[in-house]
Amino acid sequence: MSAAGVIQSAGLTRRFGTNVAVKPFELTVGPGGITVLLGPNGSGKSTLLRMLLGLVPRDAGTATIDGVPLAGDGRTVRTRATYLPGELHVYGELTARAHLAWCVRGRDARALERACALATHFGLPLERRVRAFSHGMKRQLLLAAALAPAVPVRVLDEPTEGLDPTHRAQVLELLRADAERGTTLLVSSHHLGEVERAATRELFLRQGELLDEAAARVLHQRARESLRLVFASAPTRVGLERALTGRTLELTLDEQRATLFFPAGDGLECLRLLLAARELPPLRSVVYGELSLAELYRLLYGVEGV
Amino acid sequence: MARLRATFWFALALGVLLEAMLVAAILFWPEFLENLSSIRAMAKDLPVLGDEVLAKIDEQGFPAYVLVQHFFKGCNALGTAAAVLFAAPAIAGEAHRGTLELFLARPYSRARLLSERWLSGALALTLPVVLTSLSVPYLGECVNEYESYGPYLACALHQSLFLLAIYALTFLGSCLSANPTRVALVALFVCVFQFAIYMVKHVTHLSLFRLCDMAVLMPLHEDGRWNAAIVGALVLTIGAAYAASVFVFRRRCP
Repeated sequence: MSAAGVIQSAGLTRRFGTNVAVKPFELTVGPGGITVLLGPNGSGKSTLLRMLLGLVPRDAGTATIDGVPLAGDGRTVRTRATYLPGELHVYGELTARAHLAWCVRGRDARALERACALATHFGLPLERRVRAFSHGMKRQLLLAAALAPAVPVRVLDEPTEGLDPTHRAQVLELLRADAERGTTLLVSSHHLGEVERAATRELFLRQGELLDEAAARVLHQRARESLRLVFASAPTRVGLERALTGRTLELTLDEQRATLFFPAGDGLECLRLLLAARELPPLRSVVYGELSLAELYRLLYGVEGV
Repeated sequence: MARLRATFWFALALGVLLEAMLVAAILFWPEFLENLSSIRAMAKDLPVLGDEVLAKIDEQGFPAYVLVQHFFKGCNALGTAAAVLFAAPAIAGEAHRGTLELFLARPYSRARLLSERWLSGALALTLPVVLTSLSVPYLGECVNEYESYGPYLACALHQSLFLLAIYALTFLGSCLSANPTRVALVALFVCVFQFAIYMVKHVTHLSLFRLCDMAVLMPLHEDGRWNAAIVGALVLTIGAAYAASVFVFRRRCP
Protein backbone atom coordinates (compact mmCIF):
# COMPACT_ATOMS: atom_id res chain seq x y z
CA MET A 1 0.00 0.00 0.00
CA SER A 2 1.25 3.49 -0.82
CA ALA A 3 1.98 5.56 2.28
CA ALA A 4 0.42 8.72 0.83
CA GLY A 5 -2.34 9.95 3.09
CA VAL A 6 -2.04 6.93 5.38
CA ILE A 7 -1.79 7.03 9.16
CA GLN A 8 0.04 4.02 10.55
CA SER A 9 1.05 3.20 14.07
CA ALA A 10 2.56 0.18 15.73
CA GLY A 11 2.82 -0.31 19.46
CA LEU A 12 2.25 3.31 20.43
CA THR A 13 2.14 3.39 24.20
CA ARG A 14 1.66 6.12 26.76
CA ARG A 15 1.68 5.88 30.53
CA PHE A 16 0.67 8.54 33.01
CA GLY A 17 2.17 7.35 36.27
CA THR A 18 0.95 3.80 36.77
CA ASN A 19 -2.00 4.26 34.42
CA VAL A 20 -1.47 3.03 30.87
CA ALA A 21 -3.52 5.52 28.84
CA VAL A 22 -2.81 3.87 25.49
CA LYS A 23 -1.75 0.24 25.20
CA PRO A 24 0.20 -1.07 22.21
CA PHE A 25 -1.76 -2.02 19.08
CA GLU A 26 -1.45 -1.81 15.30
CA LEU A 27 -3.43 0.83 13.45
CA THR A 28 -3.73 1.75 9.79
CA VAL A 29 -6.07 4.52 8.68
CA GLY A 30 -6.66 5.76 5.15
CA PRO A 31 -5.82 6.75 2.53
CA GLY A 32 -8.88 8.94 2.35
CA GLY A 33 -12.21 8.46 4.13
CA ILE A 34 -13.50 9.41 7.54
CA THR A 35 -12.39 7.08 10.27
CA VAL A 36 -14.12 7.66 13.56
CA LEU A 37 -12.53 6.72 16.83
CA LEU A 38 -15.16 5.94 19.44
CA GLY A 39 -14.78 5.46 23.12
CA PRO A 40 -16.00 6.74 26.46
CA ASN A 41 -14.16 9.39 28.46
CA GLY A 42 -10.75 8.19 29.56
CA SER A 43 -10.55 5.53 26.88
CA GLY A 44 -7.38 7.04 25.42
CA LYS A 45 -8.82 8.59 22.24
CA SER A 46 -7.38 12.06 22.73
CA THR A 47 -4.06 10.73 23.97
CA LEU A 48 -3.77 8.51 20.89
CA LEU A 49 -4.57 11.41 18.54
CA ARG A 50 -2.10 13.67 20.33
CA MET A 51 0.59 11.00 20.25
CA LEU A 52 0.18 10.53 16.51
CA LEU A 53 1.05 14.21 16.06
CA GLY A 54 3.81 14.33 18.64
CA LEU A 55 1.84 16.56 20.99
CA VAL A 56 2.09 13.99 23.74
CA PRO A 57 5.47 12.23 23.82
CA ARG A 58 5.14 8.47 23.43
CA ASP A 59 6.71 5.94 25.74
CA ALA A 60 7.07 3.32 23.02
CA GLY A 61 6.03 2.48 19.49
CA THR A 62 6.26 4.01 16.04
CA ALA A 63 3.94 5.97 13.79
CA THR A 64 3.96 7.47 10.33
CA ILE A 65 1.68 10.02 8.71
CA ASP A 66 1.71 10.31 4.93
CA GLY A 67 4.89 8.23 4.94
CA VAL A 68 6.68 10.57 7.34
CA PRO A 69 7.82 8.87 10.54
CA LEU A 70 6.97 10.38 13.90
CA ALA A 71 10.37 11.39 15.23
CA GLY A 72 11.67 13.85 17.77
CA ASP A 73 8.96 16.31 18.70
CA GLY A 74 6.86 15.43 15.64
CA ARG A 75 7.41 18.63 13.64
CA THR A 76 7.69 16.83 10.29
CA VAL A 77 4.52 14.87 10.98
CA ARG A 78 2.67 18.08 11.81
CA THR A 79 3.62 19.54 8.44
CA ARG A 80 1.50 16.72 6.89
CA ALA A 81 -1.48 16.97 9.19
CA THR A 82 -3.66 19.53 10.91
CA TYR A 83 -5.17 19.05 14.34
CA LEU A 84 -8.33 20.21 16.06
CA PRO A 85 -8.03 20.03 19.86
CA GLY A 86 -10.86 18.45 21.80
CA GLU A 87 -10.68 20.99 24.59
CA LEU A 88 -11.65 24.47 23.48
CA HIS A 89 -9.22 27.15 24.57
CA VAL A 90 -8.48 30.17 22.41
CA TYR A 91 -6.61 33.45 22.52
CA GLY A 92 -9.57 35.63 23.45
CA GLU A 93 -7.70 38.88 22.91
CA LEU A 94 -7.28 38.18 19.18
CA THR A 95 -9.83 38.88 16.49
CA ALA A 96 -11.11 35.85 14.60
CA ARG A 97 -9.01 36.79 11.56
CA ALA A 98 -5.85 37.24 13.64
CA HIS A 99 -6.53 33.96 15.41
CA LEU A 100 -6.89 32.12 12.12
CA ALA A 101 -3.68 33.74 10.86
CA TRP A 102 -1.90 32.59 14.02
CA CYS A 103 -3.25 29.04 13.66
CA VAL A 104 -2.31 28.60 10.00
CA ARG A 105 1.12 30.22 10.33
CA GLY A 106 3.63 27.90 8.66
CA ARG A 107 1.02 26.35 6.34
CA ASP A 108 0.57 26.90 2.60
CA ALA A 109 0.22 30.43 1.26
CA ARG A 110 -3.52 30.28 0.64
CA ALA A 111 -4.44 28.60 3.94
CA LEU A 112 -5.47 31.86 5.59
CA GLU A 113 -7.67 32.82 2.66
CA ARG A 114 -9.45 29.44 2.82
CA ALA A 115 -9.71 29.61 6.62
CA CYS A 116 -11.38 33.02 6.42
CA ALA A 117 -13.73 31.74 3.74
CA LEU A 118 -14.68 28.77 5.93
CA ALA A 119 -15.19 31.01 8.95
CA THR A 120 -17.43 33.25 6.87
CA HIS A 121 -19.29 30.14 5.67
CA PHE A 122 -19.92 29.34 9.36
CA GLY A 123 -21.17 32.89 9.83
CA LEU A 124 -18.36 33.98 12.15
CA PRO A 125 -17.58 37.71 12.38
CA LEU A 126 -13.91 37.91 11.40
CA GLU A 127 -13.18 41.27 12.97
CA ARG A 128 -14.69 40.50 16.38
CA ARG A 129 -12.52 39.44 19.30
CA VAL A 130 -12.68 35.72 19.98
CA ARG A 131 -13.44 36.25 23.69
CA ALA A 132 -16.94 37.34 22.67
CA PHE A 133 -17.57 34.05 20.84
CA SER A 134 -19.85 31.31 22.14
CA HIS A 135 -18.56 27.78 22.69
CA GLY A 136 -19.89 26.65 19.33
CA MET A 137 -18.39 29.63 17.51
CA LYS A 138 -14.98 28.91 19.01
CA ARG A 139 -15.28 25.30 17.85
CA GLN A 140 -16.12 26.52 14.34
CA LEU A 141 -13.20 28.93 14.36
CA LEU A 142 -10.74 26.18 15.24
CA LEU A 143 -12.40 23.89 12.71
CA ALA A 144 -11.89 26.50 10.01
CA ALA A 145 -8.20 26.64 10.94
CA ALA A 146 -7.92 22.83 10.89
CA LEU A 147 -9.79 22.34 7.60
CA ALA A 148 -8.15 25.15 5.62
CA PRO A 149 -4.53 24.05 5.11
CA ALA A 150 -3.74 21.83 2.13
CA VAL A 151 -2.56 18.70 3.94
CA PRO A 152 -3.20 15.01 3.24
CA VAL A 153 -4.32 14.18 6.79
CA ARG A 154 -6.50 15.84 9.41
CA VAL A 155 -6.82 14.70 13.00
CA LEU A 156 -9.95 16.10 14.62
CA ASP A 157 -10.80 15.57 18.27
CA GLU A 158 -14.56 15.89 18.81
CA PRO A 159 -15.18 18.23 15.82
CA THR A 160 -18.91 18.56 16.42
CA GLU A 161 -18.94 18.76 20.21
CA GLY A 162 -20.95 21.77 21.40
CA LEU A 163 -22.50 22.51 18.00
CA ASP A 164 -26.22 22.77 17.42
CA PRO A 165 -27.79 20.22 14.99
CA THR A 166 -27.72 22.65 12.05
CA HIS A 167 -24.05 23.47 12.43
CA ARG A 168 -23.27 19.83 13.18
CA ALA A 169 -24.80 18.82 9.86
CA GLN A 170 -22.87 21.63 8.16
CA VAL A 171 -19.60 20.38 9.61
CA LEU A 172 -20.31 16.77 8.68
CA GLU A 173 -21.01 17.90 5.14
CA LEU A 174 -17.66 19.71 5.03
CA LEU A 175 -15.87 16.64 6.37
CA ARG A 176 -17.52 14.45 3.73
CA ALA A 177 -16.51 16.87 0.98
CA ASP A 178 -12.96 16.97 2.32
CA ALA A 179 -12.80 13.16 2.39
CA GLU A 180 -14.11 13.00 -1.16
CA ARG A 181 -11.18 15.16 -2.24
CA GLY A 182 -8.92 12.41 -0.91
CA THR A 183 -8.02 13.77 2.52
CA THR A 184 -7.70 11.22 5.31
CA LEU A 185 -9.74 12.22 8.34
CA LEU A 186 -9.26 10.62 11.72
CA VAL A 187 -12.01 11.88 14.00
CA SER A 188 -12.94 11.12 17.56
CA SER A 189 -16.57 11.34 18.63
CA HIS A 190 -19.14 10.43 21.24
CA HIS A 191 -22.11 10.64 18.91
CA LEU A 192 -23.03 7.25 17.50
CA GLY A 193 -25.80 8.51 15.25
CA GLU A 194 -23.55 11.15 13.81
CA VAL A 195 -20.84 8.57 13.31
CA GLU A 196 -23.15 6.33 11.35
CA ARG A 197 -24.02 9.18 9.02
CA ALA A 198 -20.50 10.36 8.31
CA ALA A 199 -18.02 7.57 8.99
CA THR A 200 -16.53 5.29 6.41
CA ARG A 201 -14.96 3.27 9.20
CA GLU A 202 -15.39 3.01 12.96
CA LEU A 203 -12.79 2.09 15.53
CA PHE A 204 -13.60 1.36 19.15
CA LEU A 205 -11.25 2.16 21.98
CA ARG A 206 -11.64 1.27 25.63
CA GLN A 207 -9.12 1.73 28.41
CA GLY A 208 -6.40 2.31 25.84
CA GLU A 209 -7.13 -0.82 23.84
CA LEU A 210 -8.45 -1.07 20.31
CA LEU A 211 -11.35 -3.47 19.96
CA ASP A 212 -11.28 -6.10 17.26
CA GLU A 213 -12.85 -4.29 14.31
CA ALA A 214 -14.88 -7.20 12.90
CA ALA A 215 -16.39 -8.03 16.29
CA ALA A 216 -17.20 -4.37 16.85
CA ARG A 217 -18.94 -4.17 13.49
CA VAL A 218 -21.13 -7.17 14.28
CA LEU A 219 -22.04 -5.82 17.70
CA HIS A 220 -22.66 -2.35 16.36
CA GLN A 221 -24.99 -3.86 13.77
CA ARG A 222 -26.72 -5.69 16.60
CA ALA A 223 -27.03 -2.44 18.50
CA ARG A 224 -29.15 -1.11 15.70
CA GLU A 225 -31.66 -3.89 16.39
CA SER A 226 -32.42 -2.56 19.82
CA LEU A 227 -35.33 -0.98 21.58
CA ARG A 228 -34.83 1.31 24.57
CA LEU A 229 -37.88 1.88 26.68
CA VAL A 230 -38.57 4.06 29.69
CA PHE A 231 -41.76 3.18 31.57
CA ALA A 232 -43.73 5.42 33.93
CA SER A 233 -43.03 2.88 36.70
CA ALA A 234 -40.80 -0.19 36.94
CA PRO A 235 -42.17 -3.09 34.88
CA THR A 236 -41.58 -6.72 35.87
CA ARG A 237 -39.37 -8.99 33.80
CA VAL A 238 -42.16 -11.59 33.78
CA GLY A 239 -44.62 -9.00 32.48
CA LEU A 240 -42.31 -7.99 29.65
CA GLU A 241 -41.54 -11.58 28.69
CA ARG A 242 -45.23 -12.46 28.76
CA ALA A 243 -46.06 -9.53 26.48
CA LEU A 244 -43.48 -10.78 24.00
CA THR A 245 -44.16 -14.48 24.25
CA GLY A 246 -42.76 -16.43 21.34
CA ARG A 247 -40.22 -13.76 20.36
CA THR A 248 -36.46 -14.27 20.44
CA LEU A 249 -35.01 -11.45 22.44
CA GLU A 250 -32.51 -10.41 25.07
CA LEU A 251 -33.72 -8.19 27.83
CA THR A 252 -31.93 -6.00 30.39
CA LEU A 253 -34.02 -4.29 33.02
CA ASP A 254 -32.93 -1.42 35.25
CA GLU A 255 -35.93 -0.15 37.28
CA GLN A 256 -38.04 1.85 34.77
CA ARG A 257 -35.58 1.37 31.93
CA ALA A 258 -35.59 -1.68 29.69
CA THR A 259 -33.33 -2.46 26.75
CA LEU A 260 -34.33 -5.19 24.33
CA PHE A 261 -32.39 -6.71 21.45
CA PHE A 262 -34.08 -8.45 18.58
CA PRO A 263 -31.79 -10.77 16.70
CA ALA A 264 -34.72 -11.63 14.43
CA GLY A 265 -35.03 -7.99 13.40
CA ASP A 266 -38.71 -7.73 14.34
CA GLY A 267 -38.36 -4.84 16.78
CA LEU A 268 -41.28 -2.83 15.46
CA GLU A 269 -43.64 -5.75 15.78
CA CYS A 270 -42.43 -6.26 19.35
CA LEU A 271 -43.02 -2.60 20.08
CA ARG A 272 -46.59 -2.96 18.86
CA LEU A 273 -47.08 -5.89 21.26
CA LEU A 274 -45.58 -3.93 24.16
CA LEU A 275 -47.85 -0.99 23.53
CA ALA A 276 -50.84 -3.34 23.48
CA ALA A 277 -49.86 -5.18 26.71
CA ARG A 278 -52.22 -4.05 29.46
CA GLU A 279 -50.24 -5.39 32.41
CA LEU A 280 -47.24 -3.15 31.66
CA PRO A 281 -46.98 0.44 32.96
CA PRO A 282 -47.42 3.21 30.38
CA LEU A 283 -44.39 4.07 28.26
CA ARG A 284 -42.65 7.41 28.67
CA SER A 285 -40.14 7.14 25.84
CA VAL A 286 -39.11 4.75 23.10
CA VAL A 287 -35.87 4.79 21.13
CA TYR A 288 -35.49 2.27 18.36
CA GLY A 289 -32.23 1.29 16.75
CA GLU A 290 -29.71 3.56 18.44
CA LEU A 291 -27.78 2.87 21.59
CA SER A 292 -25.86 5.25 23.80
CA LEU A 293 -22.13 4.78 23.76
CA ALA A 294 -22.28 3.40 27.30
CA GLU A 295 -24.82 0.78 26.27
CA LEU A 296 -22.88 -0.13 23.18
CA TYR A 297 -19.82 -0.60 25.36
CA ARG A 298 -21.79 -2.80 27.70
CA LEU A 299 -22.44 -4.91 24.66
CA LEU A 300 -18.93 -4.74 23.33
CA TYR A 301 -17.16 -5.53 26.55
CA GLY A 302 -19.82 -7.03 28.72
CA VAL A 303 -19.08 -4.66 31.59
CA GLU A 304 -21.00 -1.95 33.41
CA GLY A 305 -20.02 1.60 34.14
CA VAL A 306 -17.90 2.38 31.13
CA MET B 1 1.45 38.71 17.45
CA ALA B 2 -0.64 39.87 20.39
CA ARG B 3 1.90 38.42 22.76
CA LEU B 4 4.73 40.21 20.95
CA ARG B 5 2.77 43.42 21.15
CA ALA B 6 2.21 42.92 24.88
CA THR B 7 5.91 42.17 25.36
CA PHE B 8 6.79 45.36 23.49
CA TRP B 9 4.55 47.46 25.73
CA PHE B 10 5.98 45.83 28.85
CA ALA B 11 9.50 46.54 27.60
CA LEU B 12 8.57 50.13 26.84
CA ALA B 13 7.06 50.54 30.30
CA LEU B 14 10.20 49.10 31.90
CA GLY B 15 12.37 51.46 29.84
CA VAL B 16 10.28 54.51 30.72
CA LEU B 17 10.35 53.66 34.44
CA LEU B 18 14.09 53.05 34.46
CA GLU B 19 14.72 56.27 32.56
CA ALA B 20 12.43 58.26 34.84
CA MET B 21 14.26 56.95 37.91
CA LEU B 22 17.60 57.66 36.27
CA VAL B 23 16.67 61.23 35.34
CA ALA B 24 15.41 61.92 38.85
CA ALA B 25 18.56 60.42 40.41
CA ILE B 26 20.96 62.34 38.18
CA LEU B 27 19.18 65.66 38.61
CA PHE B 28 19.36 65.09 42.37
CA TRP B 29 23.14 64.47 42.21
CA PRO B 30 24.34 68.06 42.99
CA GLU B 31 22.13 68.24 46.06
CA PHE B 32 23.19 64.74 47.12
CA LEU B 33 26.87 65.67 46.76
CA GLU B 34 26.34 68.79 48.82
CA ASN B 35 24.84 66.74 51.65
CA LEU B 36 27.00 63.63 51.27
CA SER B 37 29.03 64.18 54.44
CA SER B 38 25.87 64.59 56.50
CA ILE B 39 24.30 61.51 54.90
CA ARG B 40 27.45 59.50 55.62
CA ALA B 41 27.41 60.62 59.22
CA MET B 42 23.80 59.53 59.58
CA ALA B 43 24.41 56.16 57.90
CA LYS B 44 27.76 55.36 59.47
CA ASP B 45 26.34 52.63 61.70
CA LEU B 46 24.28 51.03 58.96
CA PRO B 47 25.90 47.89 57.56
CA VAL B 48 26.69 47.79 53.82
CA LEU B 49 25.03 51.15 53.08
CA GLY B 50 27.25 53.21 55.39
CA ASP B 51 30.60 51.49 55.15
CA GLU B 52 30.44 50.30 51.55
CA VAL B 53 28.01 52.20 49.37
CA LEU B 54 28.29 55.74 50.67
CA ALA B 55 32.04 55.41 51.23
CA LYS B 56 32.48 54.39 47.61
CA ILE B 57 30.33 57.27 46.34
CA ASP B 58 32.35 59.68 48.46
CA GLU B 59 35.52 58.28 47.00
CA GLN B 60 34.53 57.80 43.34
CA GLY B 61 31.90 60.50 42.89
CA PHE B 62 29.32 60.58 40.12
CA PRO B 63 30.05 57.18 38.45
CA ALA B 64 29.65 55.31 41.76
CA TYR B 65 26.46 57.23 42.47
CA VAL B 66 25.03 56.26 39.06
CA LEU B 67 26.06 52.61 39.48
CA VAL B 68 24.18 52.46 42.77
CA GLN B 69 21.15 54.43 41.67
CA HIS B 70 20.67 53.04 38.19
CA PHE B 71 22.09 49.54 38.24
CA PHE B 72 21.92 48.37 41.82
CA LYS B 73 18.68 50.09 42.76
CA GLY B 74 16.79 50.64 39.50
CA CYS B 75 17.77 47.69 37.35
CA ASN B 76 18.04 45.17 40.15
CA ALA B 77 14.68 46.06 41.65
CA LEU B 78 12.62 46.76 38.54
CA GLY B 79 14.63 44.47 36.28
CA THR B 80 14.24 41.51 38.60
CA ALA B 81 10.49 42.04 38.76
CA ALA B 82 10.36 42.37 34.97
CA ALA B 83 12.47 39.21 34.50
CA VAL B 84 10.03 37.26 36.62
CA LEU B 85 6.97 38.78 34.99
CA PHE B 86 8.28 38.12 31.47
CA ALA B 87 9.33 34.55 32.18
CA ALA B 88 6.68 33.16 34.56
CA PRO B 89 3.73 33.13 32.12
CA ALA B 90 5.78 32.20 29.04
CA ILE B 91 4.86 28.49 29.05
CA ALA B 92 2.96 28.01 32.31
CA GLY B 93 0.58 30.75 31.16
CA GLU B 94 -0.24 28.79 27.99
CA ALA B 95 -0.86 25.66 30.04
CA HIS B 96 -2.94 27.61 32.56
CA ARG B 97 -5.24 29.11 29.93
CA GLY B 98 -5.37 25.79 28.03
CA THR B 99 -3.83 27.08 24.81
CA LEU B 100 -0.62 25.06 25.06
CA GLU B 101 -2.07 22.31 22.86
CA LEU B 102 -2.94 24.84 20.16
CA PHE B 103 0.49 26.43 20.56
CA LEU B 104 2.23 23.08 20.04
CA ALA B 105 -0.01 21.84 17.21
CA ARG B 106 1.50 24.19 14.64
CA PRO B 107 4.13 22.80 12.25
CA TYR B 108 7.13 24.10 14.18
CA SER B 109 9.63 22.32 16.34
CA ARG B 110 9.29 22.77 20.07
CA ALA B 111 12.84 24.09 20.23
CA ARG B 112 11.88 26.87 17.82
CA LEU B 113 8.66 27.72 19.64
CA LEU B 114 10.49 27.89 22.94
CA SER B 115 13.44 29.84 21.55
CA GLU B 116 11.19 32.46 19.95
CA ARG B 117 9.45 32.99 23.24
CA TRP B 118 12.66 32.94 25.26
CA LEU B 119 14.40 35.43 22.99
CA SER B 120 11.51 37.88 22.79
CA GLY B 121 11.34 38.03 26.58
CA ALA B 122 15.13 38.28 26.91
CA LEU B 123 15.25 41.19 24.47
CA ALA B 124 12.36 42.93 26.18
CA LEU B 125 14.25 42.63 29.44
CA THR B 126 17.76 43.64 28.37
CA LEU B 127 17.12 46.32 25.75
CA PRO B 128 15.62 48.82 28.23
CA VAL B 129 18.58 48.25 30.58
CA VAL B 130 21.13 48.86 27.83
CA LEU B 131 19.34 51.80 26.22
CA THR B 132 18.66 53.65 29.46
CA SER B 133 22.29 53.11 30.54
CA LEU B 134 23.46 54.74 27.34
CA SER B 135 21.60 57.90 28.29
CA VAL B 136 23.77 58.42 31.40
CA PRO B 137 26.53 60.47 29.67
CA TYR B 138 23.92 62.73 28.08
CA LEU B 139 22.09 63.25 31.38
CA GLY B 140 25.41 63.72 33.21
CA GLU B 141 26.10 66.81 31.14
CA CYS B 142 23.03 68.41 32.70
CA VAL B 143 24.79 68.31 36.08
CA ASN B 144 28.26 69.08 34.72
CA GLU B 145 29.48 65.50 34.86
CA TYR B 146 31.16 64.35 31.66
CA GLU B 147 31.23 60.61 31.11
CA SER B 148 31.83 58.31 28.15
CA TYR B 149 29.40 55.65 26.89
CA GLY B 150 31.72 52.61 26.92
CA PRO B 151 31.94 51.96 30.68
CA TYR B 152 28.18 52.25 31.10
CA LEU B 153 27.59 49.89 28.19
CA ALA B 154 29.90 47.33 29.83
CA CYS B 155 28.03 47.71 33.13
CA ALA B 156 24.69 47.39 31.34
CA LEU B 157 25.86 44.16 29.71
CA HIS B 158 26.92 42.74 33.06
CA GLN B 159 23.60 43.80 34.57
CA SER B 160 21.78 42.19 31.64
CA LEU B 161 23.58 38.91 32.23
CA PHE B 162 22.52 38.98 35.87
CA LEU B 163 18.89 39.68 34.98
CA LEU B 164 18.98 37.06 32.23
CA ALA B 165 20.09 34.47 34.78
CA ILE B 166 17.02 35.24 36.88
CA TYR B 167 14.90 35.25 33.71
CA ALA B 168 16.28 31.91 32.50
CA LEU B 169 15.73 30.20 35.85
CA THR B 170 12.17 31.55 36.08
CA PHE B 171 11.57 30.46 32.48
CA LEU B 172 12.66 26.95 33.44
CA GLY B 173 10.14 27.06 36.28
CA SER B 174 7.51 28.13 33.76
CA CYS B 175 8.34 25.12 31.56
CA LEU B 176 7.85 22.82 34.54
CA SER B 177 4.61 24.30 35.82
CA ALA B 178 1.04 24.97 34.75
CA ASN B 179 0.56 27.75 37.28
CA PRO B 180 2.22 31.04 36.29
CA THR B 181 1.18 32.77 39.50
CA ARG B 182 2.91 30.19 41.62
CA VAL B 183 6.07 30.40 39.50
CA ALA B 184 6.08 34.20 39.75
CA LEU B 185 5.46 34.22 43.50
CA VAL B 186 8.22 31.71 44.22
CA ALA B 187 10.70 33.58 42.01
CA LEU B 188 9.77 36.96 43.49
CA PHE B 189 10.01 35.62 47.04
CA VAL B 190 13.50 34.27 46.37
CA CYS B 191 14.59 37.56 44.79
CA VAL B 192 13.15 39.75 47.55
CA PHE B 193 14.75 37.50 50.16
CA GLN B 194 18.10 37.74 48.40
CA PHE B 195 17.76 41.50 48.14
CA ALA B 196 16.86 41.72 51.83
CA ILE B 197 19.86 39.75 53.07
CA TYR B 198 22.15 41.99 51.04
CA MET B 199 21.67 44.60 53.73
CA VAL B 200 22.34 42.23 56.64
CA LYS B 201 25.94 42.46 57.74
CA HIS B 202 26.81 38.85 58.54
CA VAL B 203 25.00 37.24 55.64
CA THR B 204 25.39 39.90 52.97
CA HIS B 205 28.03 37.78 51.24
CA LEU B 206 25.40 35.08 50.66
CA SER B 207 23.16 37.38 48.64
CA LEU B 208 22.95 36.75 44.90
CA PHE B 209 22.86 40.51 44.42
CA ARG B 210 26.58 40.49 45.33
CA LEU B 211 27.02 39.29 41.75
CA CYS B 212 25.88 42.64 40.44
CA ASP B 213 26.68 45.31 42.99
CA MET B 214 29.05 48.22 43.07
CA ALA B 215 32.02 46.06 44.09
CA VAL B 216 31.64 44.17 40.81
CA LEU B 217 30.54 47.03 38.56
CA MET B 218 33.06 49.65 39.72
CA PRO B 219 36.18 47.88 38.40
CA LEU B 220 34.32 47.24 35.16
CA HIS B 221 33.44 50.90 34.88
CA GLU B 222 36.86 52.19 35.89
CA ASP B 223 39.15 50.14 33.74
CA GLY B 224 37.03 47.59 31.92
CA ARG B 225 37.96 44.68 34.19
CA TRP B 226 35.32 41.96 33.82
CA ASN B 227 35.00 39.58 36.73
CA ALA B 228 35.55 36.37 34.80
CA ALA B 229 34.33 34.10 37.57
CA ILE B 230 31.04 35.93 37.96
CA VAL B 231 30.46 36.42 34.24
CA GLY B 232 31.33 32.77 33.64
CA ALA B 233 28.92 31.64 36.35
CA LEU B 234 26.13 33.84 34.97
CA VAL B 235 26.66 32.69 31.38
CA LEU B 236 26.78 29.08 32.54
CA THR B 237 23.57 29.51 34.55
CA ILE B 238 21.78 31.09 31.58
CA GLY B 239 22.99 28.39 29.20
CA ALA B 240 22.16 25.54 31.56
CA ALA B 241 18.73 26.92 32.39
CA TYR B 242 17.96 27.46 28.69
CA ALA B 243 19.11 23.93 27.79
CA ALA B 244 17.08 22.49 30.65
CA SER B 245 14.04 24.47 29.45
CA VAL B 246 14.40 23.03 25.94
CA PHE B 247 14.78 19.52 27.38
CA VAL B 248 11.75 19.87 29.66
CA PHE B 249 9.64 21.51 26.97
CA ARG B 250 10.35 18.68 24.51
CA ARG B 251 8.76 16.21 26.95
CA ARG B 252 5.96 18.50 28.04
CA CYS B 253 2.36 17.34 27.62
CA PRO B 254 -0.28 19.95 26.76
